[in-house]
Amino acid sequence: MTKLNIFTRGLVKENAVFVLMIGLCPALAVSSTVRDGFGMGLAATFVLVFSNLIISILRKNIPNEVRIPIFILVISTFVTIIDYMMQAFQPDLYRALGVFVPLIVVNCMILGRAEAYASKSSVVNSILDGLGTGLGFTLALTIMGTIREILGNGTFLGLTVFGESFRSAPVIFMIMSPGAFLVIGILKALINKYVKRELR
Amino acid sequence: MTGTRQMVITLFVVAVTCAVILSFVYAFTEPRIAETQARLTLSGLEEAISAHEYVEVVPDTLWQALDSLGNRVGIVFRVFPQGYGGPIPITVGLNREGTITGIRIASAAEGLSETPGLGAKITEPTFTGQFTDKCAAEVALEQDGGAIQAITAATISSRAVSDGVRKGIETYAEYLAPAHDKKEVFPKASSFSEIIADTLWYAIHDADTLGLVFVGVVQGYLNDIKFMVGYSKGSQITGVTVLSCRETEGLGEKIRDEEFLDKFKDSIPEAITGATVSSEALIDGVKSGIARFKEYIQ
Repeated sequence: MTKLNIFTRGLVKENAVFVLMIGLCPALAVSSTVRDGFGMGLAATFVLVFSNLIISILRKNIPNEVRIPIFILVISTFVTIIDYMMQAFQPDLYRALGVFVPLIVVNCMILGRAEAYASKSSVVNSILDGLGTGLGFTLALTIMGTIREILGNGTFLGLTVFGESFRSAPVIFMIMSPGAFLVIGILKALINKYVKRELR
Repeated sequence: MTGTRQMVITLFVVAVTCAVILSFVYAFTEPRIAETQARLTLSGLEEAISAHEYVEVVPDTLWQALDSLGNRVGIVFRVFPQGYGGPIPITVGLNREGTITGIRIASAAEGLSETPGLGAKITEPTFTGQFTDKCAAEVALEQDGGAIQAITAATISSRAVSDGVRKGIETYAEYLAPAHDKKEVFPKASSFSEIIADTLWYAIHDADTLGLVFVGVVQGYLNDIKFMVGYSKGSQITGVTVLSCRETEGLGEKIRDEEFLDKFKDSIPEAITGATVSSEALIDGVKSGIARFKEYIQ
């Protein structure tokens, strides 16, 4: 597999949210606005790339029996780092993401890539895989955030679209929890019908 | 056996390395986090009442607001009434008379859990602006007999805010009391000794008792009028101030005019035309207060 393929696989063909259907909890909960979705995606990408990197470096020294605790230690260290960094430099985003930043630890997408890929692959490939999967996750959250914010709040990145009359009475339903399920369901249906088959 | 040992050692080394790295990250970010936190709190206070400095009285709950000369301009406090989706964090500013200078409700990003698009509209200036310049007595929804217009389809959140603000004022109003400088009504005195708690003080300078300062309450046109009077041994009124929240806009307000209050220093003034009820109530209050407390300096 070429380097480009490793990168794009996680981005589109095996997109964590839309194709593999993993990491759905943050995808549903933190996609009510574009900014939240994008921020969450980048935070997860950061953790994914660095945990893949470290686990790939250590892969020959990790005894098989304790690999899961070690993966979790490495992942939670990077989650804590990004948690502190966001608190210090992006307090607004930090408060918007709330409990979902610490919960990146248990995002099965990250542990999944560590277990299935980084612990068996070279350092460069692991970084590319982490980057691809992370940006695929970011892409999914940003798409969902865009749809939900435009319909549910009448704005895109806080800027009014469709004029003030829509802004004052938008489809509030879309930024609430049921809207997340609806959006992901419709997107998944569209992807199944038009995209997935061609990529196979 | 070697397998077990290697497991333990690897896990130990990884855990210690992670802990060391995290302690460095913590040491690096901790001051920044504290600074950011403090700045956010401060900007919330500034929206409620503008002042030069905020002195914390009760941690994270109550502040005295001071101007650049160190004079007290009012208080700021935070309340968390229960709304529809959870507690609503509200910052309320009060000036020295107990009038609301502004309120600020935390946004969803800062922990507000009201329904987006409905209850969350309480953060909008069209709602929060209604509280500015109001007294505790008026802070209630219109359907509850107050002057605050509820947000359509968000009555629970609106009521939680107005009731929370009113109860907050009732709780913290006592902190305004020391803000009323008794020196203002008795400029010559340098210290005051309390005779009746929160009501009557001796005005003292160089161990001499110069006179009295007292606080009284009378029924005005709409609300109670609370006032403070300085009265010297020589039967002179040294100053009168109105402490309580504004009465009615425009008319009853006139009793606050310096010009009117200054007249007391010479003799008891005439009632103000157009604000007869309020000004007569104040004049009567000052007279009966003097009659009542005179004996303390004779």
